[in-house]
Amino acid sequence: MNKVLAMILAGGRGERLYPLTRDRAKPAVPFGAIYRIIDFTLSNCLHSDIRRIYALTQYKSTSLHHHIQFGWNILSNPLGEFIEAIPAQQRISEDWYQGTADAIYQNIYTLQQERPEQVLMLSGDHIYKMDYRKLIASHLEKGVDLTVAAIRMDRNLSREFGVMEIDESWKIVGFQEKPEVPKTLPGDPKGILASMGVYVFNTEILVRRLIEDTRSDSTHDFGKDIIPAMIEKDRVFAFDFRKGDQGGTGYWRDVGTIDAYFEANMDLVSVTPQLNLYDSQWPILTYQPPYPPAKTVLVEEGRIGTALNSIISNGCIISGGSVRRSILSPRVTVHSHAEVEDSILLEGVDVGRHARIRRTIIDKEVQIPQGMEIGYDLDQDAKCFTVTDSGIVVVPKGIRL
Amino acid sequence: MKKILVVEDEEGLRLLYEEELKGEGYEVFTAQNGREAIKQLEKVKPDLVVLDIVMPVMNGMEALGRIVGKDRNIPVIINTSYPGYREDFMSWAADAYVMKSTDLQELKDKVRDLLEKKKVQ
Repeated sequence: MNKVLAMILAGGRGERLYPLTRDRAKPAVPFGAIYRIIDFTLSNCLHSDIRRIYALTQYKSTSLHHHIQFGWNILSNPLGEFIEAIPAQQRISEDWYQGTADAIYQNIYTLQQERPEQVLMLSGDHIYKMDYRKLIASHLEKGVDLTVAAIRMDRNLSREFGVMEIDESWKIVGFQEKPEVPKTLPGDPKGILASMGVYVFNTEILVRRLIEDTRSDSTHDFGKDIIPAMIEKDRVFAFDFRKGDQGGTGYWRDVGTIDAYFEANMDLVSVTPQLNLYDSQWPILTYQPPYPPAKTVLVEEGRIGTALNSIISNGCIISGGSVRRSILSPRVTVHSHAEVEDSILLEGVDVGRHARIRRTIIDKEVQIPQGMEIGYDLDQDAKCFTVTDSGIVVVPKGIRL
Repeated sequence: MKKILVVEDEEGLRLLYEEELKGEGYEVFTAQNGREAIKQLEKVKPDLVVLDIVMPVMNGMEALGRIVGKDRNIPVIINTSYPGYREDFMSWAADAYVMKSTDLQELKDKVRDLLEKKKVQ
């Protein structure tokens, strides 16, 4: 695997996750109490023996750079291993990246320096567990120029994905980017084969196609421009995600909206979550400061510190309040008589006495004053916070209440 | 008259290319390094660039990236004494790679071919 270089596109703005992406790029959005979204992709790389990793950042990248610097400085440089976040350097162009393909083209000097045989191109936006070794082995066995990881999706979601058309050997013969009327799977008129944004390229072909793309009238996007051009000129195959799916549940999420984000988090407090975080063969690594263990205190008449069906992280104190079906990131405090239900509380949130929180995401370091109610009167909530159509309230980071 | 920008740090060569290409009926502009080339690109809007690689201030490889970034249609000929730069990924963005020689025939042929090709497009 030392001939493979991973490049993670980690500049996603994640506009539909606003206000969680107000201060951070989408890959840096917290997920599952202690993780950031990019941790899943980085963990996949490590468990797949891929140890030369660049994360290409762009907008609002400070949070992501900190996370990678503090949490992922775990590889051995002398052995040629690294995980490094590269900001947009504007070495070739003074503009921001024009598209996903331009992001790689602008880092052509980095590719030049590393000269890998293959480039594993990944997105830092998705949550899944995948053994990339199987994908790369398939790419090498077939001796092809590009392999695209693919997952079956319902056809009514076609406008969110790159949709592939394949022949019986899984050669890609057509590619539509976010089509309204997609090509469905043979024998499965309700299913489409969607691109996961996970690609293996032979480096030289990739560079040639990127240069051609930059010298032509193009939106400089992998899905819209590079992949369709390569299907015309090169040997391009799809790889069935089920063959590399670690855990075999078919779990792959683009938590692109607040509602999808909320549901994917809430899956984790179910009895048997679809996303298994307890797989000792495939632990998800992250940055964990040395906080003390979580604690519940107070057992008095009408004042009991409890947490049921919930995830409670280190540094949390449930002090005489109650927490149900919720996810608490590190250092969350819930004071006496407060109630938290079906909610996601990010790091450092403090819920004051008698406060009531329901179906709410509270971003980092927010202090909820005594007696405040959120999630009970959505019209009222909408005056201060973001409220989604399905009624999820989002309280932004650092707001003073 | 077609305009050619010659980017070359050695004065003697610069004058030689200028004279020879003028003799072919082109209008010739010059720059001594990559940074000057970028400025000239915007000022004179050449139809083609002849680009040396090893130059002070900004080398030709870096200039090449910026030139095609500013004008993706402009033909660029790398003109160098070193064959090794063919290995550089960025060199693949050039339309031709010519080894420096006292006989300028190959360079002249490439200039003519690329301008011809550009006209067709």
